[in-house]
Amino acid sequence: MLASRLLSALYWGTELEITPLPFDRDLNLQELLAGVSLERLGGILKALLGGDFRLLGADGRRLLGSEEPYAQPRRAEIHYDLDLLGQLESASADEARLSAAAAMIELMLRLSARYHMAAELHIETVHEDFAALQQKHAAMMESEARYKALSEELEARVREQVKIIESAQRQLYQAEKLASIGQLAAGVAHEINNPIGFIRSNLSTAQQYVSKLGALESVMQTGNMAQFQSAWKEAGIAFLLEDFTALLGESVDGADRVTKIVSDLKGFSNVDQAEEEIVDLNDNLRFACNMLAGQTRDKVELVMELGDLPKILCFPGHLNQVFLNLLLNAAQAIVDQGRIEVSSEVAGSEVHIRISDNGCGIPEMNLDRLFDPFFTTRQVGSGTGLGLTVCRDIVQAHGGRIEVKSKEGMGTTFTVILPAG
Amino acid sequence: MAEFDEVNRKITIKLVYYGPAQSGKTTNLMRLHDLLAPDLKGEIMTLETQNDRTLFFDLLPLGFRTPSGWLVKLKLFTVPGQVAHDATRKAVLSRADGVVFVADSQRSQSVNNAEAFQNLEENVQRVGMDFSHMPLVVQFNKRDLPEAQIFSENEIRQRWSQTPWPLVFSSALVGEGVRETLFKLLEQVYPALDRLFGLQQEHDVGQQAFISAVLGD
Ligand SMILES: Nc1nc2c(ncn2[C@@H]2O[C@H](COP(=O)(O)OP(=O)(O)OP(=O)(O)O)[C@@H](O)[C@H]2O)c(=O)[nH]1
Ligand SMILES: [Mg+2]
Repeated sequence: MLASRLLSALYWGTELEITPLPFDRDLNLQELLAGVSLERLGGILKALLGGDFRLLGADGRRLLGSEEPYAQPRRAEIHYDLDLLGQLESASADEARLSAAAAMIELMLRLSARYHMAAELHIETVHEDFAALQQKHAAMMESEARYKALSEELEARVREQVKIIESAQRQLYQAEKLASIGQLAAGVAHEINNPIGFIRSNLSTAQQYVSKLGALESVMQTGNMAQFQSAWKEAGIAFLLEDFTALLGESVDGADRVTKIVSDLKGFSNVDQAEEEIVDLNDNLRFACNMLAGQTRDKVELVMELGDLPKILCFPGHLNQVFLNLLLNAAQAIVDQGRIEVSSEVAGSEVHIRISDNGCGIPEMNLDRLFDPFFTTRQVGSGTGLGLTVCRDIVQAHGGRIEVKSKEGMGTTFTVILPAG
Repeated sequence: MAEFDEVNRKITIKLVYYGPAQSGKTTNLMRLHDLLAPDLKGEIMTLETQNDRTLFFDLLPLGFRTPSGWLVKLKLFTVPGQVAHDATRKAVLSRADGVVFVADSQRSQSVNNAEAFQNLEENVQRVGMDFSHMPLVVQFNKRDLPEAQIFSENEIRQRWSQTPWPLVFSSALVGEGVRETLFKLLEQVYPALDRLFGLQQEHDVGQQAFISAVLGD
């Protein structure tokens, strides 16, 4: 109790100098006379009582009047409500005067009590209001601080989340690219194996031819022309030379094909630092189809119907990625045996490239979301769902668009539309 | 909380008449002043009224002396019922040992009654008392008004049937039920005082003696 008083006194310190006391506590005589000029009261009582008097508190202590106790005083009690607050003593006054004086003091005390209670109740309520105000203020400050901290934390979390998403997206793009490069590598390997195979076999034939020619060398050294001629014939050198020439020509063609594949491959491999080139998109389509055919020959029948296209300025590597991606999707939509049709044509000022399959098709409810990042209908783990998003981004970067038509169980057609000019 | 003053050999108990504006709290106190005849009875102190409405409080002191020579003093307070005087109401309510809730029986006053009762519950908690253990009597006043204007006893009893507090029907204006209300409150207040101060053991004042001494019969 004392501690809390002290605390509240400290707390109020400068704002309010008063620590409230309970307004309803009982007051003693001294407290009730606190506002009265005792000097004047003493003078009045002396005059009323016709001489000296003593005013004592409930505990018998003198508050006003003579210091010396009287030998045989007359006494009148002073009450306030139910309490005896003190005594008025006089040596000179008679009974009536004394009780009248006491009654007058009681009247005064009553007024004083009213004043005290009203004042103290007032202080108590003001104090209370102020405390409530302080409390409200503190609560407001606290909630403001909480709100601030929360919003800061939220902002930090959002930043963090954005960072995570950005890096995840970059990783996924990267993974998608790697995946299509992997697909590509398989196709490339197949394409290159073929020419390398026959170049290799041609070369070993050439080795045999060279050693045959070497055997004729020793016959020629003898200088016997007739013997040399018959050996020449016997060895079939005329055919050998003819075949040798054809075989070298074939090998040169094969090497050219490898060179072409490798240069096409560059379109994929340096996607990031690609430069714009003027190309015939049909070449890109053929290349992508070859890539696919290498892997799906026994499952998919690939039909190309390529119309004449104007050459266009584009990033061929990027578009190769789009075509390969769409072709891979088409192949994946075919479960057992199926057909993929690739066609190209000019329509007005646009180039239309259509890739259709007769595979499983896409449910209508999924069509709208097809190009959304991370949307995939395939099993978890088999695709990032970024493939079509990347395709759309690339085509849009070329000023074009991708359209899709599909019917479940019937197949899907993707149309890549690019400006012709 | 009742005060125990060893020096002056005095126990002081505070009872508060609470309720909506104009329900008859001040009238209750005035009737009690007329009706009761305890050993000691002070004058009613009315601290400021304006057009009949209490601004601070009314106070009626009652008391008696125990056989052991102690003064038992009851201070009956009213609060101002007007909504605006909530700070005063709260200050008057603090340290109370028991409460009479004076409700106005008029149908038109049911919202005011409900709000005042909720305000009582809130303020009891704000001043650090325990509402569920606080002695409380609910008085429905102004029963003398025309039947059409007031809730019937049945309606009121039904509404309050789930509550633990005694209900008293009164007409403070004519003095009916006023004494019974205080009686019911003292019945609840006594056990707590007895526990705290040993009224029976130390002062030889049992419950009946206590109540008769306060009411003066
Ligand atoms: N008819 C009737 N009127 C009553 C009764 N009790 C009080 N009144 C009247 O109601 C009015 C208000 O009474 P008060 O006792 O001043 O009411 P209060 O509860 O003290 O009001 P506040 O001080 O404003 O909180 C007065 O006009 C009373 O005469 C009653 O039992 N019956
Ligand atoms: Mg009043």
